[in-house]
Formats: sequence, C-alpha cells, structure tokens
Amino acid sequence: MVQSQVLDRTFSALSDPTRRDILDRLAAGPASISELARPIGISLPGVMKHVHILEEANLVVTEKLGRTRECRLGPEQMADATRWIERHRRQWERRLDRLETYVERRQKGVRA
Amino acid sequence: MSHDLRLERTFDAGPDVVFDAFLDPGAQRALLADGPDWIVESEVDLRVGGTWTLVWGSSRDKLFREVAVFSEVDRPSRLAYAVTATFADGRTLETEIEITFEGKDGQTNMTLVQTGFPSAAIRDDFKGDWPNFLKRLEHVVMERAAAGAA
Repeated sequence: MVQSQVLDRTFSALSDPTRRDILDRLAAGPASISELARPIGISLPGVMKHVHILEEANLVVTEKLGRTRECRLGPEQMADATRWIERHRRQWERRLDRLETYVERRQKGVRA
Repeated sequence: MSHDLRLERTFDAGPDVVFDAFLDPGAQRALLADGPDWIVESEVDLRVGGTWTLVWGSSRDKLFREVAVFSEVDRPSRLAYAVTATFADGRTLETEIEITFEGKDGQTNMTLVQTGFPSAAIRDDFKGDWPNFLKRLEHVVMERAAAGAA
C-alpha cells in the first residue's frame, strides 16, 4: 500500500473519539472486546466495528483466544503518522524561523 | 445468577448441511483457525453421552480446549451439550449449549443459546466472537451447498 493510503487510513481511524478512547485503553495493556465496550458504553457490535477499522489501519491487532478475542496495540502503532507529523512540524518550524528573522531585520531597519 | 447468550443466524441451505458443517472435524479449521499454522484438532462421537473434543490455538502454549458431552442429538434439527472449556492459562468454564436448526423454504434458522456464564463480562467476551464464528460457518455452508448443487 502506498504511503498516502497508509496515512489516509491512520488519520481516518484516529478521527473518531471512540477509536481514540479504545487506543487510550489499549495503551494500558491488552483487553477483550467486552472490556473495551464497558467504559465506553457502546454495544459489542459497535466496538467490534471500531476495532476492525483500527485493525485495518494496523493500529490494533486482535488475537483469537478460544471463543474470545484479545485486542492490543499494533506493533507499528502510529509510526507512519508520527513521521508525517514530525516532517511537517519541522517544515513549519523552519518557516517560522525565517519569518522571525525577517521580522527582526525589518525592525532593525526601521529603528536604524 | 447465570448469564446467558442467544444468537440467531439464517443460512441459505438446508438444516442437514448446516448441522453437519457445524460438527464436521474437517470443517473446524475453517471455522476456528486465524492462520494456516494454527493447531486445530477435533474428535466427535455424535451420540447422547458421546463427547466432542475441540482444541485450537495459534501455538501449543496458547491452546483452548473444549470438551463437550452430548445430552441431545437429533440430526439435523437439534443439538444440546454441556461443555467444559479450558483456557491456555488453566482457567476453566462450564456452560451448556442448545442449538436448534429450523428449516424453511430451503433456508435454516440456527438458534444458539449458551447458558451458565458466571458473569456478564465473560458472557460478553464470548458474545464478542461468536458472530465471527457464525460468519465463517455461513461461508463453509455456502461452499458445501454449492458443491452439493453442482
């Protein structure tokens, strides 16, 4: 899958507050579907749909244990999204640095 | 207090196809395995008092075992059994399962009732993955129905 599609999936998965709640919960350790559903207060099928979307984005992996399923954070977690955000953060910092330099020069020029 | 779960699903095939697919040792890999390297073992002695032993998991140290003892066997319309499940960490769970297969107009409505869960949380853990199993069963049933029609 090309990089932009990976990012589309990641950011789309992260755009939902329930899915972010699920990731917060899984950051504390693995959980079953019902353990994820209880604090969020939505139905099991609803949680399963959210988990499926997170699984497709590789943010979560699930493992079948008998007739139950355990969820945990994916091995890659948010590496691609983090790299993308970091790259853009550095670009913006460079732009802001240049703007700062420009403003300082102008101020010095006005005072002179 | 017992916590129960009830599931229903309609299949586009007769009750005999659904009943046999549910129990067939040869179908269990398609129903239970999450990958080609999974361990799946099934032995069934289909009679009242007979046992059905199912073992599956991603590796030897993650095996889940179910030993069922049949209390009712009425092919292809009804099945009841008491099942002792043993998790990989040694925990055990005893429940009872009743399944009816009602045929109508070439379809089968399967109703599964599992009783005896000690808590709603454990019941919900099972409830969370049964739909996935039934979806897989539907796939197996469709393949067998198509093969039978060919």
